[in-house]
Order: sequence, then C-alpha cells, then structure tokens
Amino acid sequence: MYGLKFPHSARTREIRFVLNGSETSVRVPPGYTLLETLRYVLRMTGTKEGCARGDCGECTVLVDGVPVHACLTLMSQVEGRSVLTVEGIDRQHRLIRAFVEEGAVQCGHCTPGIVVAAYHLLSQVPRPTEEQVREALRGNLCRCTGYVKIIRAVLKAGEA
Amino acid sequence: MQHLADVEVYSVRTLREALELLSSVKGLRVIAGGTDLIVQLKTGVVPKTNLLDVSRVDELRYVRFEDGILRIGALTTFMEIYRSELVRRHAPLLAEAAFTVGSFQIMNKGTIGGNIVNASPAADSLPPLYALNAELKIVGPRGERFVRIQDFYKGYKKLDLMADELVAEVRIRPPGEGYVGHFFKHGLRRGDAIAVVNGAVLLRLSPEGIVRDARVALGAVAPTVVRSPSSERVLVGSRLSPEVMWRAAEAVVNDISPIDDVRGSAAYRRELSVNYVFMTLYRIARETGVVA
Ligand SMILES: Cc1cc2nc3c(=O)[nH]c(=O)nc-3n(C[C@H](O)[C@H](O)[C@H](O)COP(=O)(O)OP(=O)(O)OC[C@H]3O[C@@H](n4cnc5c(N)ncnc54)[C@H](O)[C@@H]3O)c2cc1C
Ligand code: FES
Ligand code: FES
Repeated sequence: MYGLKFPHSARTREIRFVLNGSETSVRVPPGYTLLETLRYVLRMTGTKEGCARGDCGECTVLVDGVPVHACLTLMSQVEGRSVLTVEGIDRQHRLIRAFVEEGAVQCGHCTPGIVVAAYHLLSQVPRPTEEQVREALRGNLCRCTGYVKIIRAVLKAGEA
Repeated sequence: MQHLADVEVYSVRTLREALELLSSVKGLRVIAGGTDLIVQLKTGVVPKTNLLDVSRVDELRYVRFEDGILRIGALTTFMEIYRSELVRRHAPLLAEAAFTVGSFQIMNKGTIGGNIVNASPAADSLPPLYALNAELKIVGPRGERFVRIQDFYKGYKKLDLMADELVAEVRIRPPGEGYVGHFFKHGLRRGDAIAVVNGAVLLRLSPEGIVRDARVALGAVAPTVVRSPSSERVLVGSRLSPEVMWRAAEAVVNDISPIDDVRGSAAYRRELSVNYVFMTLYRIARETGVVA
C-alpha cells in the first residue's frame, strides 16, 4: 500500500536510531517523516495521523525525551536520536489505567498522542495542576470527549 | 499533500559545513525545526527543493549573556527560550511570547531563527524583538554582518538575507533599569492559535509615573511587524493616566494597515489593536502602582 502512497525514490539512506529502547535501522528517504516511517515502513500504527501538519497532536512522540510531532519530523532529524512512541509505554502504567478507569477514551484516535504528551508531563511534573495539564495538552485535539474526562484521568494519574 | 521522498537532505553538524554547502550546492533550502517548512513543502506553498538540515548544528543553540548583551543562537527552541533564566531576567517580554508559540510540541521544535526567517507578520517572537530593538547576526561566505530587526524586513516576506547566508544569532541589549513591559496575543482560541493580533508594549517610567521611553510594537496588522510611533509620541513625557492610555491606544490605528483574512476582518483587527494596547498599558500602570 505504501508503495503507491509513498514511492521510495533512489534517494534512500540508512538511518539508525533508538526506538522504544531498541537499536533500529531503516532504509528510507531522508525526506520521509518519522510518522510515515513508523506507520508505513515499520508498521507501528499506534502513532496516529490526523492532519499531518502539526495541528492535531495525534502523532505526538518523544524525541530525546521531549514531545514533538512525528508528522513534522524528517528522518534526517531522527538519526542517532532516541524515539519513544505509545507502544513504548507499559500497558499497566498508571496513566493508561487512569484513562480506562475515567472513561477518557471514545473513538480513541487522539488517545495515543495524548497519552504520550501526558506521560511526558508526569515525568516532569509528577503532580500537575489542572492548568498545567491543560497547557501541556493544548496541542492535542479530541473531537469526542470534550476533554473533561481526559483531564480528570491525567490528574488522577498524577495523584497516584 | 505531497510526500518528500524525492527530496535530498544534506545533514550537517557544524556551521562551517552548512555555509560551504549553501555556497556550493545550488537551490538548497535550510531546514531548522521544520515546523513551518515541512507544512509549506507538503502543501506546495513552497516549491519542493533539496534541503540543508541544520537542526543538529549545536553551536547555534544557546542562550548567553556576554558584554552586557543577551545572545540567543538561531537554533534555540521556544521551549528553551521560555525556560531560560537569562531570557526571563533580561528580556521577559520574549519569554512571555515564547510560551504562546503553538503547542508544547511546536515549542520543542520551532526555533527563533525559523520564526524570524519564515517572516510571518503574525510571528510571536517579532513584536518583542521590535520593542527590544534586537539585532541579528548574519553569517555567510563574505563573513558576518549585523542587521537591526526593523531593517531585516523589506516588505511582506522580503528579507535582507541572501540565499548563501544564515541567521546565526539574535542579540538583545537589555533596556535597563525601570523598564516594564508585556507581550499580548489574541488568538481565536486560548491555546495553539496563530495570532489575529499580537504585540508588545515596553515602557520606562519615572518614580512619579511619567513615561520616559515608550515602545509599542504590533503584529498581524501590516505586511511586516510595525512599531507605532504615533502611540509612542502620546506616551512619552506624559503621566500614565487612563486618559493618556486611551489616546495612546487609539493612536495605533495611524501606523497599521490590517487586511481581511480567515482569522478576522481589518476592522476587527483595528479594534483589537486599540483594545489590547490599552489593556496592556493599564496592566503596566497597575503593576507599577501608577493607577489603583
Ligand atoms: C501547528 C502549528 C502552530 C504554530 N503556532 C505558531 C504560533 O503560535 N506562533 C508563531 O509565531 N508561529 C507558530 N507556528 C509557526 C512555526 O512553528 C514557527 O514560525 C517556528 O518558530 C519556525 O521555526 P522552525 O525552526 O520550525 O523553522 P523551519 O520550518 O525549519 O524554517 C522556517 C523558514 O526559515 C528558514 N530558516 C530557518 N532557520 C534559519 C536560519 N538559521 N537561517 C536562515 N534561514 C533559516 C527556512 O529555510 C524556512 O524558510 C506554528 C506552526 C504550526 C505547524
Ligand atoms: S498528524 Fe501530526 S499533528 Fe496532526
Ligand atoms: S476520543 Fe475520539 S478524538 Fe478523542
């Protein structure tokens, strides 16, 4: 499928990086985005594509420990760095449990990006205020929940 | 949207390599954070070209204070600027603006150099840089040169920058004792919004509340960011009374030429400019105890 949508050109390059703790090497065009590489080359579809232009936050991953948009990150910018996607977060993590317990997921399309952004917030600020949660998630759109339960889930994980 | 699979990307680690490639390879376009350029390339706003990825040129990522000048490397991100104690101390206006740039994801990737060279009239770093009389250090094959921020912009997205040059550093001479100011921004929602109008007001007040120096800068209301000399003239020499603040705020319409676009009409932008300049002046007057 990606053969049609993302034709490989002759311009491929071996790019090494650490993905969820494992040394990884892919042969891709350096102009591929990290999002295209994750989803269409590595077939890791946890990271979602909503807008592919930085507006929705669905593709949020950590690069060298900070949240960025995978859709606005070229593979040349990932070389030698370390990437964490939602697949790299333990399923039993208190944040993920809190999302389930609070019913913070409806269609689920925004969830991976929000979980990664909130995971980073909690690693920096273990007990964030509601204001801090809202600021840290201001780049993540959700079209279903109205955000109330998402914010409640992050605050709950912060109390644990 | 197009993919960039057929684009060649040259990755460099040093400023010297970057300048050499810019001079020797034709048609290269610099990419820093890529938060503007990747969208523009993918949507076809900017024609596809090969890229020079400078995002790893770490020698251009720093905040330093030397010889009385605050120096910010062009590749410094807005998150780094927002968090910097030096920026908060010497240019708090810029720290305030940095916090409003997009989302945390954008702040972590978007650089001040990219914001300056992308040259959107709504760019949030620019009103503070205009109010602070910032200067840019530009480097190229002919050496380095310095340009005042006001002189860098020749018109809508027209820059005093050659294709083989890079913006290397932003320099700010802290205005000194007695200066108080704030950044303001009106977006169509509270977070992750491009400014409909933004701006910065920086005043030096005497202990009696007389304005000794005034700098009023506005964005998204003209082809480039502008200072408002009309407003500044009303302020300088006067006591910061509510009446003076209104006159100064209303005077900004003389110096702006807003347009209608997706984010708002020209009339709406004029009204926002007046109201926000008034509110920001009032905030400064209250914080300094000039009004109750
Ligand atoms: C979702 C979203 C929200 C945004 N919100 C805001 C906002 O609220 N406020 C705001 O001001 N901006 C906003 N932006 C725009 C953008 O994030 C900023 O302008 C950012 O600072 C650009 O920096 P960059 O490093 O990503 O630039 P890039 O995209 O890498 O480059 C931008 C331009 O500058 C050139 N360039 C970059 N660095 C240099 C250099 N050192 N020397 C010479 N040329 C150079 C590039 O060739 C390119 O033309 C937003 C963007 C997105 C996608
Ligand atoms: S897909 Fe990256 S921000 Fe929407
Ligand atoms: S749960 Fe559907 S977009 Fe958030």
